[in-house]
Amino acid sequence: MNIQQNTMHTCPACGLLCDDISSEAVSSRQVSCGKAAAFYARVTTGVSPQVGGRAASLAEAVSAAANILKQSKAPLVAGSSTDVHGARALVGLSHRTHAAVTHLNASSTLRNMKVLQHKGWQTTTLTEVRNRADVILMIGTDVVSHNARFFERVVWVPEAMFTVPSARKIIYLGGDQLDTTPGISPQGVAPQVIDCATAQLPEVVSCLRALVVNKPISAAAVAGVSMDQLRALAETLKAAKYATLVWVSKDLDYDHADLTIENITETVVALNQKSRAMGLSLGGSDGDTSVNYAHTWLNGVIIDAPAWESHDTVVWVNSYSPQAMPPAGKQSVIVLGAPDSTFEAPPAVFIPVATPGLDCAGQQFRVDGSVILPLTAVKPADAPTLTQVIAMIEAELEGASA
Amino acid sequence: MITLLKNAKVIDPAHGKDGVTQDIYIRDGRIIAKPAESEKIGQVYDLNGKIVMAGAIDMHSHIGGGKVNIARMLLPEYQAMRQLEEPEAHICGANCSHLATPNTTDTGMRYIEMGYTAAFEPAVLAVNARQAHMEMGDTPMIDKGGYAMLGNDDYLLRLLSQNADQKTINDYVAWTLHATQTIGIKVVNPGGISAFKFNERRQDLDQQHAFYQITPRRILQALSRAVHDIGIAKPLHVHCNNLGVAGNFQTTLDTMGASDGLPMHLTHIQFHSYGTEGDKKFSSAAANIAEAINKNKHITADVGQILFGQTVTASGDNMMQHLNAKVANPKKSVIMDIECDAGCGVVPFKYRDENYVNALQWAIGLEVFLSVEDPWRVFLTTDHPNGAPFTSYPHLIRLLMDKTFRNDAFDKLNLDAQAMSNLKALNREYSLYEIATMTRAAPAKLIGLHDRGHLGVGAAADITVYTEQADKEAMFAKPDLVFKDGELVVKEGKVIKVVWGATHTAKPAFDLGIEKEIKQYFDRYHTMQMDHFKISNDHIAEDGRNHVINHTQG
Repeated sequence: MNIQQNTMHTCPACGLLCDDISSEAVSSRQVSCGKAAAFYARVTTGVSPQVGGRAASLAEAVSAAANILKQSKAPLVAGSSTDVHGARALVGLSHRTHAAVTHLNASSTLRNMKVLQHKGWQTTTLTEVRNRADVILMIGTDVVSHNARFFERVVWVPEAMFTVPSARKIIYLGGDQLDTTPGISPQGVAPQVIDCATAQLPEVVSCLRALVVNKPISAAAVAGVSMDQLRALAETLKAAKYATLVWVSKDLDYDHADLTIENITETVVALNQKSRAMGLSLGGSDGDTSVNYAHTWLNGVIIDAPAWESHDTVVWVNSYSPQAMPPAGKQSVIVLGAPDSTFEAPPAVFIPVATPGLDCAGQQFRVDGSVILPLTAVKPADAPTLTQVIAMIEAELEGASA
Repeated sequence: MITLLKNAKVIDPAHGKDGVTQDIYIRDGRIIAKPAESEKIGQVYDLNGKIVMAGAIDMHSHIGGGKVNIARMLLPEYQAMRQLEEPEAHICGANCSHLATPNTTDTGMRYIEMGYTAAFEPAVLAVNARQAHMEMGDTPMIDKGGYAMLGNDDYLLRLLSQNADQKTINDYVAWTLHATQTIGIKVVNPGGISAFKFNERRQDLDQQHAFYQITPRRILQALSRAVHDIGIAKPLHVHCNNLGVAGNFQTTLDTMGASDGLPMHLTHIQFHSYGTEGDKKFSSAAANIAEAINKNKHITADVGQILFGQTVTASGDNMMQHLNAKVANPKKSVIMDIECDAGCGVVPFKYRDENYVNALQWAIGLEVFLSVEDPWRVFLTTDHPNGAPFTSYPHLIRLLMDKTFRNDAFDKLNLDAQAMSNLKALNREYSLYEIATMTRAAPAKLIGLHDRGHLGVGAAADITVYTEQADKEAMFAKPDLVFKDGELVVKEGKVIKVVWGATHTAKPAFDLGIEKEIKQYFDRYHTMQMDHFKISNDHIAEDGRNHVINHTQG
């Protein structure tokens, strides 16, 4: 068992991948973040594979899964909540079975990808923000609902190379039910909050972009936000040494939200003509960045969001979200996932697999895309890895075709 | 089992052999001396005088890492489904992006089909090295390796601004090679990527960095000295300041003097050989650059030839790519600042022969190739995918070997560009021996791969067999046979067996005491643990396909 006692562990419970989790903190349940606490409290042992809801041996379950895939005309690999190694295995399985690959977070991932593929963008990473950002503008998000330790690890840090962390200007622009208290500085300076509902962000953000590029706007307000306030915000961004414009794709969940994201990123592009600013896309979970990236280098294309109905079989992987299940439908479902999965109706086949960063090693991309962190096993597993299970299924499939 | 290649016409510049007919014996992946009569020969290939060279080595090709993967994402309008054949279909889906941005399987397959058996990723961001290795690990058929980028990382810039001694810098450079599992050190726009983060838009060689008050020249001195002192073979890999700017040849000439005579490799020098003459204030300075390379024996260079067509440029140089984004085609680009370590800029380009600047870029690259006298000091690259995809190498080789073909191509260029180039006055035609030098023997020597790039006893049996043809593009596009580590993997230009290659590294000795300082820096300023920055051999070998080959240095 690869359990390392002396190193810090990396927590894969959200896209922030905090890698300062000590073994003592795990064993004494003293982790400061709720998502991490729930993750490390998971019980993942003592669960046997199932076929049709009845306990089965691993070999029986693998055979059953392979048989379903052999019969399938249009399989779909979905959920895909795993790490880079799991992603490699899933893409390999998709090649053997001519399956499409998608992810739990496909809709929020593809919202960002639409912008990247249409216009490109200008973005930064956490260590740059930690050391440089003097103005942090969060648009439609409080970040902390997704990445609880963002302010602790990146914003209100003890020291930075090129700025005074405690003097940073924190601004929230729009969003529903935000928790803005983490934006209060260590000296007690409250953040600026510009209220508007998420649904009104399209108008408000396009006005901000227009003001940054000095387009004349005659209206006195947009969606209840005064133009003077937005004009002041535009000037703050222009005057910043390193303005950081943050969004979380999942929080911009409305029709054509990619156009809002594009207005954010094009505001950054406009700012960078004269001063310095960068975009920062946060949130992320379930290895969404890892799966999209690995899929891209292995296939040359990003992940897909295929129509669910056109598939007769679903291979479902939910390692970081045990409660997540595919939408009920007529598909045969093969779950290769969390031992602590909860089923309303038993899937055709269930094979529990080890969870990278909990009871097996792995590697995961952080939400900002450039940093990849090793995952360690913090406790022993009795389930095989996803890679091992897929290798067994592929061996059965090969045997059939030989 | 012993394999015999009989009646090979060997071109092996490392041993001065130019068309010598001989037999080659292979056992356990290595070339061996003629075995005793009593030993059994398992397999015999009678080559009947076919041309045999070592496997080719691409010493500068962007094959893996963050910016390469962004490039793959950037042109969905060029995606197409392909019909793949076995065994490629076994390990790859039918999807692909543009041919300038192949997926990892596509990369390995297309390289080996041309007789290339190794490629080196020249811009591994230290903090992103894990991704570069994952992608290279998923690249079949060929060996891989990388050069780690330093010189815009705040750790080194802080050391230099604090007047740290050379030993400290040497230890940091050696530590970086270990931590990132790389074989060389690269510097991209020294100081410039960092300066861009402070809102500077240009960084000249002798201009003080806006924050650290040190010059790029000082960075080049310190790093070229460190690379020399720690004793790795690969000279400092330098992407000069002022990439792509008219008049930048002077920066390039000045950069040659920045290492105090220590070896330096100037990469994609075509993009750094521009003058300001003529109506359009953009001209060829290839003659000045070639003359300086000929004179300065401590300098090597690869060309970064451009060829016409659609590509996506991917560079660590976000400062200059931010300027280049104005001429992106299609109009989109990705610019990133990364982790107080580096940056990147990904910009699609369409090089067109009717465009004055593009046409002259094409001519400048060829002028450099034909005017640098020593094929051991100039390397055949397109800076894949920045000048053109690596799959255009056979075409490029024909341009170098066939003057008529080259001049016919020149005649089709933008007329104003023709008037500004002396290409037609250059009569040189490269020989097979010179091509073998610049694509095999010289890159192996430069990088320090003692057992690659030649066909002597003890060499790894990476071997390419060609039928000699008048049409050199056809000859180099489709070798008859390719052996990787002694196994026949390509027959008549088609892959017949999938292998996975290895990752080459250099791990010179250093004082581990430096790690205490580095850890302190990570703890104070970074968002990750230093221990997690370091990549182990096990991580390279994960998923069972790849392994590390470390090359003893000095």
